[in-house]
Amino acid sequence: MPLFPIHRIRALLLLAAAAAACLYAGKEFRKMNAPDTILPGQGVSRIRALKDYFPNLEGTRSDSAVYFLESGRPGPTVLVLGGTHPNEPAGFLAAVALVESLRVKAGRLIVVPQACQSGFTCTDPLEGYPQSYSLRSRSRLRTFRFGSRAANPVEDWPDPIIYRHFPSGQQLSGNETRNLNRAYPGKSDGTTTEKTAFAIMKLIRDEKVNLAFDLHEAAPEIPIINAIVTHEKGRELAAGALLGLELENLPYALELSPPNFHGLSHREWGDGTPAIPFLLETTNPVQGRLRGRTGASLAVDGQDRQYRLAQESGRMRITYDAGGEPLARRVGRHLRAIQAVLETYNELHPEGRVELEGIPSYEEIIRNGVGSLLQ
Amino acid sequence: MKKTVAHAFVCLFIFLLYPGTSPLPAQAADKLPQPVLISSAGQSADVAIAGMLCKKLSLQAKSQPLAKPADLQGIGTLMVVSGFSTKGLGAAGVSKEQEMERVKALLDAAREKKIRVITLHIGGKARRGGQSDDFNRLAAEASERLIVVRTGDEDQFFSSLAAGKKIPIDLVDKISDAMQPLGKIF
Ligand SMILES: [Zn+2]
Repeated sequence: MPLFPIHRIRALLLLAAAAAACLYAGKEFRKMNAPDTILPGQGVSRIRALKDYFPNLEGTRSDSAVYFLESGRPGPTVLVLGGTHPNEPAGFLAAVALVESLRVKAGRLIVVPQACQSGFTCTDPLEGYPQSYSLRSRSRLRTFRFGSRAANPVEDWPDPIIYRHFPSGQQLSGNETRNLNRAYPGKSDGTTTEKTAFAIMKLIRDEKVNLAFDLHEAAPEIPIINAIVTHEKGRELAAGALLGLELENLPYALELSPPNFHGLSHREWGDGTPAIPFLLETTNPVQGRLRGRTGASLAVDGQDRQYRLAQESGRMRITYDAGGEPLARRVGRHLRAIQAVLETYNELHPEGRVELEGIPSYEEIIRNGVGSLLQ
Repeated sequence: MKKTVAHAFVCLFIFLLYPGTSPLPAQAADKLPQPVLISSAGQSADVAIAGMLCKKLSLQAKSQPLAKPADLQGIGTLMVVSGFSTKGLGAAGVSKEQEMERVKALLDAAREKKIRVITLHIGGKARRGGQSDDFNRLAAEASERLIVVRTGDEDQFFSSLAAGKKIPIDLVDKISDAMQPLGKIF
């Protein structure tokens, strides 16, 4: 019998092929842990991290960069959070656009583009989400990770069957344990997500934030879309912003935060800090149940045949434009809505204004694409 | 001297006889009286937007999404902003049934006290159909005038209701366009 009969060679080759496949898959999987590249623009005066507000986060997957854009002139402090849900790219990219392109002329902005940093290190199982998507920026091809709705499950494995919100005791399904927007005000000795929420609450208090935005997206069939959700405190500012946005042909709905639904930014930031919170929603077909093929192009172009058919049939109440819902539209809406709230604030507080520069108009963003907002 | 004093008295006399004490233009009688109480039918946050419109028009108005009959004291016009919101009901801490009862009681009280009632529907499609239309119908039928943003009337819900009940209706393209008819009627 020869030393290497044909079946042994075949087996070795198969083993080698399997090892190569594992190695490749493993490498791809580990790429999810590599940090996204954000290129601070000239408006950024310093960069801190969530760990500076809560040292417990140091060295964890949940620590995240905090960008300061300070004018040096008096005015309110505005916080913008992107990436609370890392599968909602418009919120994340709108925040990145501010870091890379905005200049603040009065007051200051604090931007956390990846509030749930841990959620950027995985995708949701069984969703077929792309691992990343690419855009041509002003100077190069930029690739960003597409994450999961909630924090990485390895953080506090396994999820409990029931998530009990601290401190209200409100009960939600177990996977909401990792949902940053159910975790506020957070807990210093709680789960990873509760610690992240705790750090963000501390940031809001320590930096004396006046106005705080949490940028989101939702599936086209969700009723609260193209909406501003706010705390009682923000009612007037949101109403003024909505009228301004409507004049620019960007209709929005106004929703008030229910006081008995706990853990959400628009409730707990408002109750637990002096800040006035606003949660902004755009429509995102990638998150929808009706969507067809889910690839990077759906995340960027927002064109889905199933949603188009549903829209044309007129039988479903969905927020979907026949031409698709590209990222440019969704990021453009977020940026306009933030500015509209700030413009209303300026009208009501002429003594302490916030002035921004460097954000193109909505029409320009639509014309030139999201990439034009990035370095 | 005596003559001047006499003249002054005559002038004063005429002034006192003159009907009304403020020199209002003739059409003022057709205008809706202020102050305005802005309330909701369905607890959507559109009340806040209506409040903003009134503020921009410098109307004497206050917003009470959960207004009760007693709140009509001293009110000239009740402006009902109709549209249902589960988030809003949650925010107000009431059930849909409780809200329906409250709105009915408020509209009944307004009729008894002869307070003028108008309905604003500014939420478009999102505040139509399903749960919203019960509130929309209730408010619209009790009103002497409707102001509706067109996207909320694509199926002619409001315009046919208005035609059937002979209620004047203003259809506007945008929420901010509602300022025009509002400015005219107040
Ligand atoms: Zn979200």
